[in-house]
Amino acid sequence: MSNVAMELQDVRKSIGKKEIIKGLTFSIYKGEVFGFIGPNGAGKTTTIRMMVGLMQLSHGDVLIRGKSIKHDFKNAIREVGAIVENPEMYPFMTGWQNLMHYARMIPGISKERIQEVIKLVGLEKAIKEKVGKYSLGMRQRLGIAQALLHKPSVLILDEPTNGLDPAGIREIRQYIRRLAEEENVAVIISSHLLSEIELMCDRIGIIKNGELIATQTVQDSTTSETKNITQVSMQVTPMDRAIEVLKTDHTLDAKSQDEALIFQTEKEKIPDIVRSLVQQDVAIYQVNSTKSSLEDKFFDLIGENTIE
Amino acid sequence: MNNFFKLVYNEITKIYIRKSTWAMYIILAAIIIGVGFLSNIDELSSKQYSDDNWRETLEEENQELTEEIENAGEDGVFYDYNSRLVEENNYYLENDIQPDGYGAMQFVLENQLLLSVVSLLTIIIAAGIVANEFRWGTIKLLLIRPITRTKALLSKYVAVILFAFFTLLFVLVFSYIIGLIFFGFGSLNPHMLVTDGNGLQYVSVISEIIPAYGFKLVNLVMMATFAFAISTIFRNSALAIGLAIFLMMAGNQIVLFFSDRDWAKYILFANTDLSQYTAGSSPMIEGMTLGFSITVLVVYYVLFMAVAWAFFKIRDVAGQ
Ligand SMILES: Nc1ncnc2c1ncn2[C@@H]1O[C@H](COP(=O)(O)OP(=O)(O)O)[C@@H](O)[C@H]1O
Ligand SMILES: [Mg+2]
Repeated sequence: MSNVAMELQDVRKSIGKKEIIKGLTFSIYKGEVFGFIGPNGAGKTTTIRMMVGLMQLSHGDVLIRGKSIKHDFKNAIREVGAIVENPEMYPFMTGWQNLMHYARMIPGISKERIQEVIKLVGLEKAIKEKVGKYSLGMRQRLGIAQALLHKPSVLILDEPTNGLDPAGIREIRQYIRRLAEEENVAVIISSHLLSEIELMCDRIGIIKNGELIATQTVQDSTTSETKNITQVSMQVTPMDRAIEVLKTDHTLDAKSQDEALIFQTEKEKIPDIVRSLVQQDVAIYQVNSTKSSLEDKFFDLIGENTIE
Repeated sequence: MNNFFKLVYNEITKIYIRKSTWAMYIILAAIIIGVGFLSNIDELSSKQYSDDNWRETLEEENQELTEEIENAGEDGVFYDYNSRLVEENNYYLENDIQPDGYGAMQFVLENQLLLSVVSLLTIIIAAGIVANEFRWGTIKLLLIRPITRTKALLSKYVAVILFAFFTLLFVLVFSYIIGLIFFGFGSLNPHMLVTDGNGLQYVSVISEIIPAYGFKLVNLVMMATFAFAISTIFRNSALAIGLAIFLMMAGNQIVLFFSDRDWAKYILFANTDLSQYTAGSSPMIEGMTLGFSITVLVVYYVLFMAVAWAFFKIRDVAGQ
């Protein structure tokens, strides 16, 4: 079997006379986390609705492990776990009752499996409480639990970072990476904020006005061999000498901005730069580096956050 | 099949786990207790004829009633009611049958009127079962399971019918219990007098309960199916409840209003009351037969189901 988990073939959607999705063609591979990025109204949710058969395709097809969502819905959807837009559950039932409800709809889900996913998303304490009392973050977790019950080979999460704090996002990142790496799940994760999901994605597709305008591989910073330019900002004194050192020792064009030293370099060079600054008696209080290239590219491509 | 059973189980769970459903049953129970209480005060229904003097009791009663009739004249409010009682008492005396006292079974029979409340509750459930999933947004997670939409919809419909059945059972059993408390057991197989084409007949109460409830079930199922279809098509439970209840109440008036048109007999409500074909009754519109009504009912039923299914099957599940 091929490595492709999900394949979109010239997927289009028209509502009325308006074409909302204008021919999407791309594949998502096993064990890959694919970020589906675009501003609000770009068509992410609409695309996801078509991927899972909630909306009919006006044109094209979606194949999930080779099975068409149009012609072989039951077998195609069996491979998929998803949250579409907000993770809405029955508010008058407990988390556990909600999961049992969905478990009954798919053959072969044991109580142990339910307990396992509850543990994975960290909802053990709240699982006997009514979902109506859950915070948005807790509902996101329950949504993910619900999507994982039947061990899908494709996991689709529509804006799962909505309503989560940075700690929550980090946690999601951890178990999504684990699912992809250990269980070979293909994960599709949409967001209108690149920064929130960039770190968990292997590849990113940028959608705007219903068109895929770019796909881009995200370099994993720990294994990167390619040049990986990051933006560095340092708090140092004295500033003048620091700028001087960077110019002479490293031929870097640094500038002072908001009392911080700002420059761009490859990540691997940062230790050397710090060492030479120290040797020249520059005091360093803080070093920050942000990966800026992709974000810049994103904004270049997207332009303003406008629809049409 | 096992799979389908689980879907129905899910739907039933979602109905009965909600407090609003329990409120319905509490109201129903309160009505039954209230009716029992009021009937208990009404001396006629509590009159017993169990002792050996039942003949004297009946004659005394007749005397009182006749006096009342004479005093009030033929225009008296209770004329019909009182003359009927006299007639019944005479039947007992002439045929030398000791009348059964009013007991739990008779109370159950009288509570057939509560079937309109059961219809109302079933309509509310039927109108919500699809529309609510859309309102809660849970429809998305429901339809991304390896289950066809047809099965998902059917499981909901079956749950509505089961709800009607459970509620009906509740009315029967709870009425019987309340009847026992207020009126006692009565006799083992109590009998009563009914009028059919050939005048008064002495029949078993139980044999009256079955058709009395049965005939009303036809209307219940039709209106629940109608509400179910409307809410599936428009995804709006309030609209479905309003329309179904309005039609349920106004059904007879609608038929009367159009009764001089030749298509009036094709109106659903001209056909929902099948008791019009029992002995002693006459059809709403001349020329209608039982077979005709059943055909009309089946056609409407299939129409409601088919339209609901067609809409549900192809619908894009998008934002509210
Ligand atoms: N049911 C609908 N009818 C008409 N237009 C719609 C409908 N649903 C979505 N749209 C339009 O489709 C576009 C894409 O919406 P959506 O997929 O929700 O975007 P995203 O999830 O990327 O924010 C938007 O311009 C939206 O207005
Ligand atoms: Mg969206």
